Amino acid sequence: MTTGSRFRPDRRTLGRRGLLRIGGGAAALAALSPVLTACSDSGGSGKLRLVGVADQQKPVEELVARYRTSHPDAEFATSFAPTDQVQTVLRTQLAGGNAPDVHVLYPGSGSAMSMVELAKAGLLADLSEQSWTKEVPSNFHPAYRHEGKTYLYSAGSSVIGAIHNKKAFARAGVEPPRTWKELLDVCAELKAKGIIPIALGTQTPWVTQLISYALVPNAVYARNPAFDAEMASGKAHFRDSGWADAMGKYQELQRRGFFNENPNGTTYEQQTSMVASGRAAMAVQVSAVLANFRQAARNPDDLGMFPFPGGDDAAKLWIPAGIVVGLGISARSRNSAEAKAFVEFLGRQQNVDRWARSVAAIPFKRDAATRTDPALDGFLPLIDDNRAVPFMDQSWPNAEVQPAHFAAVQDLLAGKTDVDGALGQMDEAYGKKS
Amino acid sequence: MTSTSEKTVPGPAGRAADGPDTGRGRRVRHRDHTIPPWLFVVPALVVYGIVVLYPSLAGVMYAFTDWSGIGGFSFTGTDNFRALLDDGRALESVSNTLLLTLAVVVVQNGIGLLLALGVHTSIKSRAVLRLVFFAPAVVSPVMVAILWKYVYNPENGAGLNGLLGAVGLGGLRQDWLGNPSLALWSVAAMVVWQYAGYSMVVFLAGLQGVPAELHEAARIDGAGSWQRFRYVTWPLLAPALTINLMLSTIGGLKLFDQVYAATNGGPGTSSETLSTVLYKEAFVYGKFGYSTAVALVLALFVAAVSLVQLRYLRAREVTA
Repeated sequence: MTTGSRFRPDRRTLGRRGLLRIGGGAAALAALSPVLTACSDSGGSGKLRLVGVADQQKPVEELVARYRTSHPDAEFATSFAPTDQVQTVLRTQLAGGNAPDVHVLYPGSGSAMSMVELAKAGLLADLSEQSWTKEVPSNFHPAYRHEGKTYLYSAGSSVIGAIHNKKAFARAGVEPPRTWKELLDVCAELKAKGIIPIALGTQTPWVTQLISYALVPNAVYARNPAFDAEMASGKAHFRDSGWADAMGKYQELQRRGFFNENPNGTTYEQQTSMVASGRAAMAVQVSAVLANFRQAARNPDDLGMFPFPGGDDAAKLWIPAGIVVGLGISARSRNSAEAKAFVEFLGRQQNVDRWARSVAAIPFKRDAATRTDPALDGFLPLIDDNRAVPFMDQSWPNAEVQPAHFAAVQDLLAGKTDVDGALGQMDEAYGKKS
Repeated sequence: MTSTSEKTVPGPAGRAADGPDTGRGRRVRHRDHTIPPWLFVVPALVVYGIVVLYPSLAGVMYAFTDWSGIGGFSFTGTDNFRALLDDGRALESVSNTLLLTLAVVVVQNGIGLLLALGVHTSIKSRAVLRLVFFAPAVVSPVMVAILWKYVYNPENGAGLNGLLGAVGLGGLRQDWLGNPSLALWSVAAMVVWQYAGYSMVVFLAGLQGVPAELHEAARIDGAGSWQRFRYVTWPLLAPALTINLMLSTIGGLKLFDQVYAATNGGPGTSSETLSTVLYKEAFVYGKFGYSTAVALVLALFVAAVSLVQLRYLRAREVTA
């Protein structure tokens, strides 16, 4: 080496050329590092990367542990974060081609990270060959499938209803109502006893939609099951539909003073606390959050759940039941075989049951051994009788309608708009291209 | 090699000729090969180019496309910018951003100046007070927003409403974040609470640079407290004022964390700012092309306001 022969022990300073060499080398390394990293991963590390939202942590960790007992060589790197953060990071990773092998996936369409949007972009692996996909009921196909291929794994459906405090009901001497009229009477009784009838925390955006969703199945789909198709073809609009009746009822509950004061300044956490403590009698919520309500209550058995009665005929009540957030496999996964084997494992009946139970959902397939959360018993006959409709946003054509719905409800509750104006905002968002 | 391109010229005592180069002699470098000095910055430029320049320029390009953040895109000319002019929510957010910035700049710097004048005295607790007033500035903005959501609890017995009730001002209780007319100002108050101490520190540095002899001379001339502040302190605080106004204006125009965490732009769209709109367009609606167009407009707007402000404020600066 020529440089070695010219080394001078008394020179401590770095020569210009030496510096340039080091700098050039560092720059070259920096430029090459992505390539080197890519090369090192090109064969697949065998460790499955799984990214989910916080709600999925409990079932995923339980099922990963069970999977590893039968597949001791399988390695997982799992991470979970709130929805906003996961969506931001995951979308960037999908765009950059380095998405995790298995990742959170939202059913149907209507959100930027929904199954349909990602499938259209060719970013999801086809799961249609897996045996469990044949058992998905046909009315759930729009949530799981796009153009005939299954891309989503989800354990089942979550229902929207009224989570209620049984002790508060008992204090007022009332029973869960079965019709809209009974609901108004029960609320009046509760209010007279100094109990807030319905806790509402619409400062948390997703809470705004739940009462609309609870009312719309009776106001819209019970009368016209083809409403979604008519909306898609431009024949129907929110403004001239049963949505106006549903929003009118939402407003009526507020006008009669059946909500807590200042719902727009109240958060989901405060709503939870009101019902758990018995200050409020009920909250219209999704069954997936039952665990949070139970955790906040002194005695979890104080809480129950019943279908929120949006109609006047108890025998013909319809409810919303949306497929819960699930998992998809990246089309570019380098561990595709391992990822598919894991999802096949999740699709076994007992694992579907385990996942569903941990998020208080109703499994998409059931057998004699299936045990659902007892709080959901009142919902099962309606689901079996096909009187359940998916959450409305799961069939909306773009990601702007749902936030427009949030804003419309907040404006309605604040008195900034009326039903016609609120639904006009939603129609405008619906008309935008995805 | 470096060693062959350098010669050491002997110093006055001829030390270099007698022994090894000690480095104390005057060196003259004869450049056999001219290597432009800018090559030294090449590594840094490469990193800067990859991390800053390329994404920024790519962002400018995406502003003229319909990119959804995933998959391909096509160029749509100025469609995104024309859509921006017709977007009621974006225009409302511009108005909200300007109002929020104005409120934050005026109130934050006003309070910051008063705090600085207060702790620039000889009171014993001044060191502790400086620390207390500055402390909120080091807390994460998201954490501040979460804490203030408890302060703004709309229930009568809780947070700020509870305090107002306790001191007999129950009539002033409000739905601070849930009232569309109030939400923006409630966020502004939160931002002022967090950063008034920051402005205080900058003003304090300015106050400590005002020579005591000028005050002494003014006092001998019969100037009162107000006159000494108006004609001695205030003109010499101009550099500190320039920094504070610049920082608070830029911070106000791109305010995101506190708004997103406290109100998410609501109720309705009453507290949307340009930053929350561009975030939602990208990551909620999947419209990265349109979002980058909003971001480009925001960046140009911030740059223009800052330049005008800087020119004006620099013109009125004086030195002691």
